[in-house]
Amino acid sequence: MKALVIDDSRVMRRIVGGILTGVGFDVVEAGDGKEALARLEENDDVQLCCIDWNMPVMTGFEFVVEARKRDEWRDITLMMVTTEGEQNQIVRALAAGAHEYVIKPFTPDVIVDKLQFLGLVEAKETL
Amino acid sequence: MTVTTMWEVLADPDPIFTIAEDLFATMIDGEPGHLIRWYGERPAILHPTYTWVDVLGGDQDARVLISMGHDTGDDLARVLFDLEDTDEVPGVDFDDAVGELVNVVGGNVKSLVTHPGALTMPTVSGGMPDMSGLEPIVDACVTWKGSLVCVSLWVFEEKSTTTP
Repeated sequence: MKALVIDDSRVMRRIVGGILTGVGFDVVEAGDGKEALARLEENDDVQLCCIDWNMPVMTGFEFVVEARKRDEWRDITLMMVTTEGEQNQIVRALAAGAHEYVIKPFTPDVIVDKLQFLGLVEAKETL
Repeated sequence: MTVTTMWEVLADPDPIFTIAEDLFATMIDGEPGHLIRWYGERPAILHPTYTWVDVLGGDQDARVLISMGHDTGDDLARVLFDLEDTDEVPGVDFDDAVGELVNVVGGNVKSLVTHPGALTMPTVSGGMPDMSGLEPIVDACVTWKGSLVCVSLWVFEEKSTTTP
């Protein structure tokens, strides 16, 4: 399994990537939405994207919109991992094609629970 | 000048304390109980670091500012990057770590009001930002490992013409 962690903060990429690695993902990273689109072009086996909202160059929301235009990426699970906790932002992201939404700060269990719910991680594979 | 604003719902520091406690419990300490709320006059912070985000483009622009000692920022960066206590923290990692803290706090603060606008990217500086034209709403300080960390919320007296 391969995941793409998209966040302009290196420390957040480290934290999210560490959680995903712990449940069996190979992780690639991108620092903004535009870079993430390039990573997806290079890695046709990505199953999951964890996406920050506020990033320079291209936001996470813009990335979701762009990614959902591509038929070949329609099976990729998109999970927002962001500080944007307002209801209307959550609705916007889900309407644009995101599958799940995690609000920072979070514990590793929150991420793993979402992955289990999405069927990307077996229930026994807890941290 | 006193500004009447939607942000005044946060004049009580309790929501800010709760956000800070959640942040430290989940991302820093891995458990609650390591932050102590500070009541009373705020002491001076030696060798301060400031990190802030603005919330622009909503009904009322605002700024969330975190101030702490540089050594405290180093300690927080070491935790977040899983470094040893004696490891040097590169400047870029220091800015990344403390900037992400204010990003998380700012995002959670803005979720408590309606039509808040959008967050700017975090700024980190050894100098206090220009606060002219801003009015304080709340100042909430905590101690972490005995060191002071203060979160303050300010509103702009005039609406910005730019959005993030």
